[in-house]
Amino acid sequence: MKNNIRVERAIKNITQGELAERVAVSRQTINSIESNKYVPSTILALKIARVFEKPLEAIFILEEGD
Amino acid sequence: MVNQALQIMKPRFLFPYWCRYLGGGLILAHIPVAYFGKINGWENDLHNGISDDRLFNSGHLFFMGTALLMVIGLFLLAFAKEKIEDEQIIQIRLDSLRWAIYLNYLILIVSLVFIRDADHILELNLWAPLLFFIIRFRWVMFRINLSVNGEG
Repeated sequence: MKNNIRVERAIKNITQGELAERVAVSRQTINSIESNKYVPSTILALKIARVFEKPLEAIFILEEGD
Repeated sequence: MVNQALQIMKPRFLFPYWCRYLGGGLILAHIPVAYFGKINGWENDLHNGISDDRLFNSGHLFFMGTALLMVIGLFLLAFAKEKIEDEQIIQIRLDSLRWAIYLNYLILIVSLVFIRDADHILELNLWAPLLFFIIRFRWVMFRINLSVNGEG
């Protein structure tokens, strides 16, 4: 699974730390998700999508082989 | 529904953050106690088993003191919460625990086959799983922090 969090953050002009605070996780976790090292739970994914005011599938995209 | 979901994500059965310092302190405190006991020859009572076999003799007290300080210290250090304990950290904890148990039983099986001194094997098992867990967990956390700082 890949994601557009980095792009969406740039559009909204918020840092990893600010996003982390808004979804109540550590900055390390946001960083791990952005660099595809960690797959978030559905709850966290939905929270992130809510911050960007977009549907889930606009931010998290399934890849072939998933 | 929402409350239920939040409860699932909440880290349970962990000690508060400050317990990591208490744990570190207990491990450090164990060193002078062990040293003092060695000077006074208390541990010989235990290992030789010659003097007396009463409960709470000096050998038993020495063993209790050092082992308890060490194990409780490691326990608190291993299971104290991080500053922000989130789902990724819970996953790392679980993964590290699996590593620690695998490695511990590997060493246990190997030592049961090749070593006849059962006392020391059991003593090793007193702290080995916790130590393996702490090392693996801290190592992964260190690498994650490193990559975050690299991002700026």
